[in-house]
Amino acid sequence: MLELSNVTKAYPNGSVALNQVNMLVERGEFVFVVGASGAGKTTLTKLLLREEKPTSGKIAINGKNIAKLRPHEVPYLRRSMGVVFQDFRLMPTWTVEENVAFAMVVVETAPRLIRRRVAEVLELVGLANKHAQLPSQLSGGEQQRVALARAIVNKPMLLLADEPTGNLDPETSWGIVKLLLDINSTGTTMLMVTHAKQIVDTLRKRVVELESGCLTRDEKCGIYHG
Amino acid sequence: MVKPRTFGYFFESAGKSLVRNSWMTLASISTVAVSLLVLGIFLLVAVNINAVAANVEGQLQVTAHLATLSAAERGRLETEIKAIPGVTEVRFVPQSEAWQRLLEWYGDNQDFLAGWEEENPLRDSFEIRADVSHRVPEIAAAVTVLAGVEEVLWGREIVEQLLAITRMMRLVGIGLMVALALAALFIIANTIRMAIFARRREIGIMRYIGATNWFIRWPFVIEGLVLGLLGGMMAASVLAWGYYLAVRALVQAIPFWPWVQPWPFLQQLALLLLSIGVVIGILGSGLSLRRYLDA
Repeated sequence: MLELSNVTKAYPNGSVALNQVNMLVERGEFVFVVGASGAGKTTLTKLLLREEKPTSGKIAINGKNIAKLRPHEVPYLRRSMGVVFQDFRLMPTWTVEENVAFAMVVVETAPRLIRRRVAEVLELVGLANKHAQLPSQLSGGEQQRVALARAIVNKPMLLLADEPTGNLDPETSWGIVKLLLDINSTGTTMLMVTHAKQIVDTLRKRVVELESGCLTRDEKCGIYHG
Repeated sequence: MVKPRTFGYFFESAGKSLVRNSWMTLASISTVAVSLLVLGIFLLVAVNINAVAANVEGQLQVTAHLATLSAAERGRLETEIKAIPGVTEVRFVPQSEAWQRLLEWYGDNQDFLAGWEEENPLRDSFEIRADVSHRVPEIAAAVTVLAGVEEVLWGREIVEQLLAITRMMRLVGIGLMVALALAALFIIANTIRMAIFARRREIGIMRYIGATNWFIRWPFVIEGLVLGLLGGMMAASVLAWGYYLAVRALVQAIPFWPWVQPWPFLQQLALLLLSIGVVIGILGSGLSLRRYLDA
């Protein structure tokens, strides 16, 4: 599903954000990526989204090396995965429904199908009754649910969650995590970058730790600090 | 290639964005309108100045006074004058007509001319016009040397000064025009850039979701088109209405002045302003987007 081989990313200023990282994620896995700030977690998500190219090494998603993608192919890579960020990244002037529907408009789904699927996904994240509201009228947890709905509306194979609970209180965080588990249970591969010790320690999923750009730990049923 | 219904989405999206960012929309339309209005006003002034210059220049002519010639000799001379490069019109003025003009010129004070009529002291002449005013001096020189021509009048000093003045007026007009057009372009393009800068986060989000560059670009380009069109329309209508009223009043105040008539000039001007608005709107948003899109 996802394979990193000897991935190194050095920025022009000389700092090495990732150093010879190797990692293999199977279809349907749930993986936590942990590590201190500056360990290279953000760089990893940027590489997976092809916002940055690796300096060397290979990143394969479903066997395709995304480092070699041509610029016009990048949007199609991004469509194959769902992304959720710490700061939600919703369109401020669009309603909940429009925000979610946009991911389907981009891939030119028929309007009839869009309406049906958006209603379905909003139901799933528990926001069916708030479909016409603007993000500013929602709580942080609700906004993250909208972002999550948008990320899964096209049924991606891989969901990339970059500190999805970073801005949320513990209780709301658990709500989001339960949704992520539900999504994972339908077969979606999950890569969650996080600082939430309690969540990682409770779920006992696979944990990958980065330290100064190097992959220092990879445990099947890990905890936050090994 | 996008599906036709996706184009429907682009228009819908552009429309929604124009309404939802109404403050920015209003600011952009006003900026376009004011810039184009200033440009338009100046164009009106420049075109009128040019019309005055052309009018004055059009009245320049060379007058050749003739010796006493037979009809055949006169005909030959006329053919020779017409052959001079740049001559567009040669008109024969017999001495009787010249006398009549003199009488009209003096109007009620023509008493002192009485008694001269019998032995009309004036001569026959040719009045010669040039295709372009700056050729008047060379035509005058060419006519002077022809047989049968006694004297050539063309107001050397006046003509030369006048031509210098009209040339100056045109140069200054064109210079200011260009400067103003550039300023308008810059202001409009900058407004659009700011509007897009304000929405760079939205553009970033669209990219994460997998929107292609053209998918992101289309609604913005349509928005730019609408802003440019509305701004241009406002500028054009204010200008057309204002000029129409102004000319109506001015024609009565200074009837002999060669005012450029509103029709069809205003139509051309309106079309010009609209085109500028639309083109800058489209190019401005299309180009400003580039830096926020994938390479």
